[in-house]
Amino acid sequence: MTCAIATERLDAYRDRELEDDEAEQLRRHVDQCAECASRLAELARQSTRLRDALVRYSAPDTLRARIRSALGPADAAPPVRPAVPRRQAEWMRLAAAVLVTAIVSGGGAYLAARQELTARSTTDAVVSAHVRSLMPGHLTDVASTEHHSVKPWFNGRVDLSPGVPDLAASGFPLVGGRLDYIGGRPVAAVVYARRQHLINVFSWPDGSGRLTPTVTRTERGYHIIRWSAAGVETWAVSDLNPAELRQFTAAFAAGR
Amino acid sequence: MSAVDIDRFERIVLVHLDSAYTLARYLLHDEHDAQDVVQDAALRAMRHFDGFRGGDARAWLLTIVRNCCYSLRRKQRGQPRTVGLDEADAVATADTDSADAEVLRRTEQALVQRAVASLPAEFREVIVLREIEAMSYAEIATVTGVPVGTVMSRLSRARNRLATLLAPAAREAS
Repeated sequence: MTCAIATERLDAYRDRELEDDEAEQLRRHVDQCAECASRLAELARQSTRLRDALVRYSAPDTLRARIRSALGPADAAPPVRPAVPRRQAEWMRLAAAVLVTAIVSGGGAYLAARQELTARSTTDAVVSAHVRSLMPGHLTDVASTEHHSVKPWFNGRVDLSPGVPDLAASGFPLVGGRLDYIGGRPVAAVVYARRQHLINVFSWPDGSGRLTPTVTRTERGYHIIRWSAAGVETWAVSDLNPAELRQFTAAFAAGR
Repeated sequence: MSAVDIDRFERIVLVHLDSAYTLARYLLHDEHDAQDVVQDAALRAMRHFDGFRGGDARAWLLTIVRNCCYSLRRKQRGQPRTVGLDEADAVATADTDSADAEVLRRTEQALVQRAVASLPAEFREVIVLREIEAMSYAEIATVTGVPVGTVMSRLSRARNRLATLLAPAAREAS
């Protein structure tokens, strides 16, 4: 193989895009030709440099919210008119499904379906509250990175004192707090950040006294982790990847 | 589109939204244009999701994003040009911590970012798809709509140009 041909193919060789026999020919040439070997090394250096320096952007939360609200049964876009009938239709479909299930499989299945409905509707409400909070001006009522000023702000506004641990050292700075409204009552929402991602932590008193295991689910692309302990039910929602969100909830639960 | 379809669409297509947004940022050099184009592309993808029968969802979405970027550029060409963002400003500037290493890193980042921004679009896109997305030549060929051989030669020429732009002599001259 001549240097001229080799030079043409060095990129493809380095990218492992040559056929086996061609790659083998090139490898033999590079072994003998110092000039091509140094070109190859230079290509590798440049590629590493590009990969290290080029910015990989994250789609902003507002863009995700815009797309999700355009997709369908979402709730995100505030008063868009078709939302109401669509929601009703959705509800009717669910109700019909429950009815059919109840008739077919009897009472146990009906109860299970009802519980599933309740869980679904809370999940729905929590995700909707998260999406709404991402709209301009909706994120916080009290904006502060100081947990000492966020925690007392909830006094007299909700019927519990929510956990507001300082997680800046774990890479989750506090953004602030706000009142939200879920399941027919005001709840505490505490907001943390991770890079460009926001995490909403909703909490309210859990009267059942049960210690429920942590549940993870994904809804409309958002990840949700829910747990209940010490009489408080807590839901964390974010577009952050599930691994980092789990890391967050572990730190949060340990820090309260 | 039913709730089940939306769920499928999110799991299969929307997980590549960061890739879509990254390509649009590099092609358009403008944050707002990039957001508009990615939204438009995502909705087009949703409308044609019925026609998507498995395969490489990322390449499929990026093909749509790329087409939307090019048609926006064509449309804008007829209009008075708004001044694009200086890419150096677009480089993430997160904290105020200015340790020397951090300053160096940012200077390096700004330098590389500017060099890539100055490439013609057909070179810039192959660099983004190969170096950031780590796509195969065949995938890049799908997204850019050219034969694999063309991908190969464009990539090689793009890297040559970058080598010249990033050489120490060129750095001092600028």
